[in-house]
Amino acid sequence: MDKSNHVVLVYCLTQLGFMFFFYPGNIISSATEGHWIPIVFGMLVNILVVWAYMKGLSYFPKQDIISIYLSVGKWAAFVFLCPLVIFLLLVNIITVRGFSEVISLVFLENTPVWAISGLFISISTYMAMNGIGAIFRTGVLLAFLFLPLILFTFIISFQNVDFHYVFPILTKNFSFLWKPGYLHSFSAFAGSFLFLGFITPYFTYSRSKMMLALAALVPFFILSVYLPILTFGQATASTFNFPFVVLVSTIHINWLMFDRVTMFLLLSLITFSMLFISLLLWEVSRILKRAMPKAKPNYLMLIVSTLIFAACMSISSWEGVQMLFNWNISFRFFTLFAIPFSILIIGLRSGRRQKDESR
Amino acid sequence: MKVGKSMLALSLVVALCGCWDNTDINHRVLPVVMGVSKKDSEYKIFLQIPEPIQNRTLIKIVTGSGSTINHAVDKISANLEDHVDLLHVKLILLDKKYAQSGVDDSIADFMRGRDVSPKTLVSICDEDMEQFFIKVKTKMEPKGTTLYDFFEKNAGWNPQIALTRVWEVYRSIHSYTRDVAIPVIHSGTSTVVQHEGSGVIKNGKMVAQIDSDETLLFNAFNGESTQGKIEVMDHASVLITSNSIRHKGTMLDGKPYLKSKIKLKVVIQETKGHPTSDEIKKEIEVMLKTRFDQMFVKLQASGADILGTGQYFRNIIPRTQLKDWRTKYYPKLKLDFQVQATIENTGFTNLQ
Amino acid sequence: MESYMKEIERRLGGNDDFFILPDHMGGIPYVMMGFVTLIDLTRTKIALRKNRESLSETISDLTELMAVFGDIREFDLEETVTMIMGGKLILLFGGQRRYVVVDPIPIELSRAVESPTNENVLQGSMSSFNEDIDTNIGIVRKQSISKHVRVKTFLTGSEQLKKISLLYDNCHVEPDLVDKIIKQIESSSDNDINNLQNLSKTMGFSSWSIIPKFYTTELPQEAANALKKGKVILFVDRLPFALILPNLLWDMFSLDNDRNFPLPIMYAIRILRVIGVLTTLLAPGLYVALVAVNPEVLRIELALTIAQSREGVPYPAIVEIIFMLIILELIIEASTRLPKSIGPTITMVGGIILGQAVVTARLVSNLLIIVLAATTIANSTVVGFQNSLSIRLFKYLLVILCSIYGVLGLLAGLVILSAYLASINTFGISYLNFNMKKGETENG
Repeated sequence: MDKSNHVVLVYCLTQLGFMFFFYPGNIISSATEGHWIPIVFGMLVNILVVWAYMKGLSYFPKQDIISIYLSVGKWAAFVFLCPLVIFLLLVNIITVRGFSEVISLVFLENTPVWAISGLFISISTYMAMNGIGAIFRTGVLLAFLFLPLILFTFIISFQNVDFHYVFPILTKNFSFLWKPGYLHSFSAFAGSFLFLGFITPYFTYSRSKMMLALAALVPFFILSVYLPILTFGQATASTFNFPFVVLVSTIHINWLMFDRVTMFLLLSLITFSMLFISLLLWEVSRILKRAMPKAKPNYLMLIVSTLIFAACMSISSWEGVQMLFNWNISFRFFTLFAIPFSILIIGLRSGRRQKDESR
Repeated sequence: MKVGKSMLALSLVVALCGCWDNTDINHRVLPVVMGVSKKDSEYKIFLQIPEPIQNRTLIKIVTGSGSTINHAVDKISANLEDHVDLLHVKLILLDKKYAQSGVDDSIADFMRGRDVSPKTLVSICDEDMEQFFIKVKTKMEPKGTTLYDFFEKNAGWNPQIALTRVWEVYRSIHSYTRDVAIPVIHSGTSTVVQHEGSGVIKNGKMVAQIDSDETLLFNAFNGESTQGKIEVMDHASVLITSNSIRHKGTMLDGKPYLKSKIKLKVVIQETKGHPTSDEIKKEIEVMLKTRFDQMFVKLQASGADILGTGQYFRNIIPRTQLKDWRTKYYPKLKLDFQVQATIENTGFTNLQ
Repeated sequence: MESYMKEIERRLGGNDDFFILPDHMGGIPYVMMGFVTLIDLTRTKIALRKNRESLSETISDLTELMAVFGDIREFDLEETVTMIMGGKLILLFGGQRRYVVVDPIPIELSRAVESPTNENVLQGSMSSFNEDIDTNIGIVRKQSISKHVRVKTFLTGSEQLKKISLLYDNCHVEPDLVDKIIKQIESSSDNDINNLQNLSKTMGFSSWSIIPKFYTTELPQEAANALKKGKVILFVDRLPFALILPNLLWDMFSLDNDRNFPLPIMYAIRILRVIGVLTTLLAPGLYVALVAVNPEVLRIELALTIAQSREGVPYPAIVEIIFMLIILELIIEASTRLPKSIGPTITMVGGIILGQAVVTARLVSNLLIIVLAATTIANSTVVGFQNSLSIRLFKYLLVILCSIYGVLGLLAGLVILSAYLASINTFGISYLNFNMKKGETENG
């Protein structure tokens, strides 16, 4: 059944939810001028990867990546899916823990982190347990409720912009490629697109629409970095952990009855990230379900989310989150490159074989 | 469904045991103005707290001192019956002496914590702070937010008041090319406060002061609207109805050269004698230019680039050298300031 | 025959309204049985006689005569008793092992078709459904004159027999949906259906669902529109409304009668309803969040005013709002219980006296009263009383979350709500669908 709009929407929401928090800080810390080059480079990599992934998947209609790997052999499934599960779990832990930290930083300073993470995890688990169809529909509802709000605040965040900070536009310095910050910035892409390979048994989607969505996201990525830079300047923006969050808190609106409206922007973005977490949880449970066919998926999900919660609690500080980020680098690049391209290669091979057979 | 029920039970447990940030608004003390002064490495904090009672608002000034600002606030909070919440502080008043010795630490702290919003206005008090608050308190009794309203754009703000927020001060500390001006006030004789001009802040230190007329030019230079300001000259007084400015930066023989052209639209209000409109136009242009040039000499001497002139060279000077803007380029900057006035109308009567 | 009669008498004889009346016609004796409370006996007798007389005199065969009166059936005690309970007249003839079931002239026990009492219609058709299932089906047939409308009737129940009718438009409905529903009803035809909870169980719905699975309406126009959209209508005898399956989210905001207005006005009205629902859900939560947890979101002027109006309120905002919300619910509940003539009194006592006094006594803040008033008014903009009930319940979830997490709790509550709504489906059709296209099958 064609659900292109749902798929595209959910993809965009998960990207939006993630990009405004960690991404700007990562990019700003990795380049001092001409930030659009690293952003566009990253986006190109992302587009290429997603294209390869979708192309590869298109050779296997109605099959998810688990069955694709299993069709190659048990070893393939093991080699590719094990790191994937670890990656998904790590991303989940980092997201939950990181966002709880942001929340307690911005809104609730006395509320213990476990309470916030608990809320996060339980809502996401609930969403995930309702199944992928429900996750998609939730995404649509959330988009209806919060997208207008986000667009509104997004527009007014141009309030304090000084366009002279755009300069210098060009740079010959490509050292950003090796900066840890830049490597971390890929966490904004990795993870979001994976669900495309899990939903194939249930829905179909048009690849061109997906590519359009990717292109439509480019300006958002660029703005998420450039808005803080245009407001504060590179030198100041690089002193913030979350440049966009600070930017949002500098916006002053005279005519609204609320003072820190921008808080609503952050919170709506956070609801999108809940969607993201629930998607990841669902993916993990799909894989685990295949590994343990007898277990009930809902119980698996509960166990996984309890594990994530426990892991979040064992991280005591922001340093710990940073450390997880570093550990995750190898897994991140593995899922970012190895999985899509391996699917593409398997797909091309099977395509050729089918052609041979049909001859 | 079983899972759903157990989750419901879990959330109930959470609900029963935790309302960590739950303090009712009437049990919070919401200071509107915070005064900061520093004597011998000890901070003294003044909080102006509006206290709503029945149908009117009383104003309470509380003070506390400590080795850090938070320490001082904490002490005040311990002594007050309610919890002090800096979330609503709208104006931070810095002691002039403290501002001259450098406020970058405090500003960085304000940016770090969530309590004080980065949008909070900053201003300098040119008076002993204790005296200031005592005088101010007696004058603004019926309304709690007077001091803040003085700066509020849709209330008491005037184009000759610089409007600077905490994040802008913070930006100036880190930015290579941009400093800020902070309004300087002291208590007034007939009004609550009196505006004295602006303090020029360079890297968190107050290095010079400009008067309110110069602040107007500063605002105009930065593209702020100066609408409504009345300029008095020898032969006439005019009302500025709109202004726009264009800048162009170039390098001449390795020296920065900035050409700024400001266009003013004015309405004639009063005349003395019988000037022609051309005379009035000339007069405005000459007067503003001399005033600006004087100010710029002063600023250049102080080394603070509150006009943000360096911004216009961002596309010319590479970033590695831009770092030295304030020391290497700014002193050599030549600024060609041109005023072009248009007399929009002369009111209901003709100029004879 | 005698023993059979005795047996029936033994079963039903405890009722004083049960009659056994010997009679004869044209020399043939017989016994009539039935309930005087259900059968207009005199008129039925006259009708029987007329029936006999209109025929030729020459009927001598008993069987032929019996066939004139009604259905001839073999003796079956259970069936006979059921027939009598269902208001039929039974004729027993001597020496026969068969009896006749006569459709008598019943005593009029249903009200006439009236204007709706639970829903208001502006500029629309004013007739509404009533208790009699046949009348209801008739009304629908009249409203939607289409050769595609199909009616299927089932009898369910073990203790009490209930007639259920299923209506659908053959041309618009998904055949799959009808099949599923028919199968479901047939598989659980033993269940007694006296109320909607019973019916939900019969239909295999979870009884803990907060959102009603049926969209109940009194308005034939709505029902006919539902048929056209490919939905299915269920009528239960003695329930004076149509149960439309499936209930969709958008039904909360749209009424077919809106289409009697110009298009821009229709959209304006529907947007208004959406705003109403959002206000009901958000306003109380927002109050708690802003007053107790995140006051920095309020402007300072507003913050001071609220602080002033809350001065002296002896409990936290969450207790304050729950206390007042419950009082409001009590008022609503009380005014539904009371006769219409006393209703206004409650409104006055509740609204004016209580509202004013509670503020003057400094038990709650002024702002809260405004928030509550807005909430209650907004709550009534929803289409369908059942929907307004579920929304009333959901707002408590948000209030509680808000008291813990502030504005975050508000949005988290909305996410939970969205997830909940997204998880509901009726026979595979998601609650969030806009049209009746089949939703995807669920997967874990």
